[in-house]
Amino acid sequence: MMDAQLLISGVIFGLSIGAIFFLMAIGLSLCFGLMRIISLDQLLYYSIGAYITYSLSLASGSVWLGVLGGMAVAGITAFAVERFVFLRIYERELTFSMITSFGILIGGIGVIKFFWGVVPRPVPVPTLAQIDIFGTDVPVYRLIVVAIAFLVYGGIWLFLNRTITGKAIRAGIENVEHVEGLGINVSRLFTITFVIAGTLSGLAGGLHAPLIMVDPQMGLEVLAFVFMVVIIGGLGSIKGTLVSAFIVGQVVSLGSLVYAPLAQMAPFAVMMLILLVKPTGLYGSTLVKK
Amino acid sequence: MLNALRWWSGILLAFSLLALSRVFLPLPFVIEVVIFSIYTMGCSFLLGRVGFISFGQPAYLAAGAYGTAFYLFYFGANPYVGILLGVLSGLVVSLIVGPLFVRLRSDYFALVNLALAVIVYYLMQKVLADITKGDNGLWFLTNIASTPVLDLTRPNQFFVFALLVAFAVWAFYKYLDDSVFGACCLATKINEDKLEFIGYSNYRVRLLAFVIANTTTALAGALYAIYLGFVSPEITSPSRAADPVVVTILGGVGTLYGPIVGAFAYTGMKDVISKLIGNWELFIGFLLVFIMLAGEKGIWGTLQPRLEKLFLRGKAATTPADDGETRR
Repeated sequence: MMDAQLLISGVIFGLSIGAIFFLMAIGLSLCFGLMRIISLDQLLYYSIGAYITYSLSLASGSVWLGVLGGMAVAGITAFAVERFVFLRIYERELTFSMITSFGILIGGIGVIKFFWGVVPRPVPVPTLAQIDIFGTDVPVYRLIVVAIAFLVYGGIWLFLNRTITGKAIRAGIENVEHVEGLGINVSRLFTITFVIAGTLSGLAGGLHAPLIMVDPQMGLEVLAFVFMVVIIGGLGSIKGTLVSAFIVGQVVSLGSLVYAPLAQMAPFAVMMLILLVKPTGLYGSTLVKK
Repeated sequence: MLNALRWWSGILLAFSLLALSRVFLPLPFVIEVVIFSIYTMGCSFLLGRVGFISFGQPAYLAAGAYGTAFYLFYFGANPYVGILLGVLSGLVVSLIVGPLFVRLRSDYFALVNLALAVIVYYLMQKVLADITKGDNGLWFLTNIASTPVLDLTRPNQFFVFALLVAFAVWAFYKYLDDSVFGACCLATKINEDKLEFIGYSNYRVRLLAFVIANTTTALAGALYAIYLGFVSPEITSPSRAADPVVVTILGGVGTLYGPIVGAFAYTGMKDVISKLIGNWELFIGFLLVFIMLAGEKGIWGTLQPRLEKLFLRGKAATTPADDGETRR
C-alpha cells in the first residue's frame, strides 16, 4: 500500500502538473471554440515562454521577472503569427489549421535550436521553501503554480462574463455570423483571443520551466498530454478544460506511484475510454465547422 | 491492350525513374526513399481520399516492424516470412482499433491516433521491455538467412525487392482509385450523407480504407525492420509522428505519385540541409507553412497539370483532381 506522505506529495505533484496543463489547454480550447482552428503552435509559445524565462532569470537573477518576460514574448510572437499566418486560414477546414500550425511548431523548434542549441538547460526554482501539510513537506512553488492556475481561471471567467469583449467572445463561440452581424469586429476578436491563448501558453512554459529542464523538444513532449486534456474536457469548453486538466494531472501523478510506466500510458487509456463513451468529451457540445 | 499499356504507363515510368536514380544516388538514400514512400502512401490515402488526418502512423509502422522483428529475433530466419508476419500484425492491429477509431470525427481521429502512437511507444519502451529489450532495441541482422532468388541480406538485392513491393503497392492503389471503392472513399470525404443515401455504409467504407492504409504502413515497417536489421522504440517516437503527414503535404495530398515525390524531396532535403546548416526542422516547418498557404497542392500537385500540358497526347489525368474544397 501507498503511505500517506507519498500520497499527499503525489496529489500535490498532480495538482501542479494539472495547473500547467490547464494553462496551456485553455488557449487551445478558446481558439477552437471561437475560431474553429486547432492551434498546435500553442506548444511553441510554451517553449518560448520557458526559454525566455531561462535566459532572463540567468541575466537578472529573478525567475518571476523571467516568467513575465516569457509571457510578453510569447504574446508578441502569437500576435505576429496570427497576423501573418492564421488570418489567411480561418476560412479553411480544421485539418488545414492543424497541419499549418504543426509547420509553425516545427519551424519554431528549429529557431529555438538555432538560438539556444540542443542541450537541455536547468532553471532555478524561485522559492525552495517547503510547508508542512499533514506531516508531509510540500514545495511551496508547486502550490504557487496551482494558485496561479486558479487565478487565471477566475480572471478568464471574469473576462468572459463581465467585459464586453469577453461577452462578444462567448457569443462568437455560439455563432460567429450573428456577432459579426451585430457590428462587432470579429477579426479583432480573433486576434485578442489568439494573443491571450499565446500569452497563457507562455505563462505555462515559464512556470513549468523550473520543474523540468528546458529543451527544444519540450513542446512535443507535452503535446499529447495537452491534447488529451482538451479532448477529455471537450473542445471549446473552459470549465471542461479545468476539470480534465486536474483529472489528467492526478492520473499522471498517482499512476506513476502505482506503476512507473503507467504515468505516460494511463491518461491515454482514460481518454480512449471517455471518447468511446462520450465522443465529444466531458463538457463538449457537438460543435461542427460551419 | 493499348488501354492496359496506358494504365500501367504512369507507374512504369515513375518506377523506372526511381530505379534509374540508383545510378546517380547512393543506395541507402534510394532505399530510404522507396520505403518512406510506401510509409507515406497509407497516410496520403487516408488524408487525400478518406479525409482522415492521422498523427499516429508510427503506431502502425511499429506494428509491422515489431511483428517482423519478433519473428526474426526469437523464432525464425526467413525474411519473407518475417515481412508476411509484420504485415499480418499490422492488419490485426488496425482491425482491432479500426472499428473504434473510424467512428470519430476527423480532428478527434487525428488525436486518438497520436495517443495510440504514444501508447505503443511506452508499451515497447517500458512495459514490454523484457521482450523488446527496451531502448536498446532488437538486433537481428545476423539472424536473417540468405534466400535463393532475392537475397534480402544484400542491400542491392533488397533494393530490387523493395522496388518491386512498392510497384505492387502503387498498382494496387491505382486499381483502388479506379474502383467503386475508391469512388466511395472520395464520397465519404466530400459528402457522407449522399453516400448513405446511395446505400453504402460510411462506416464500412472508412473501416476498409483504414485497414488498407494501415496495413500498407505496417508493410513499410516490416521493410524497415529487414533493411536496418534492428528495431527500437524510436521508430514510434511521438516526435516523429508528423513525418508522414509532412511528406504527404509536401508531395501533394491525394495524388498517386505525391508520396514518391514527397519522400524523395523530404529525404533529400533532410540530408542536404542537415549537412549544410544542421537545422532542418526550421526549413521543413516553414516549407510546410508556405505550401499550405500557397494552395496546399504540394510539389507533385503543382507539377502534374504542367506535365500533362507538356505531354498533351490524350493522356488522361492520372488521378481524380482533388481541388474541391471539402467543408463541413
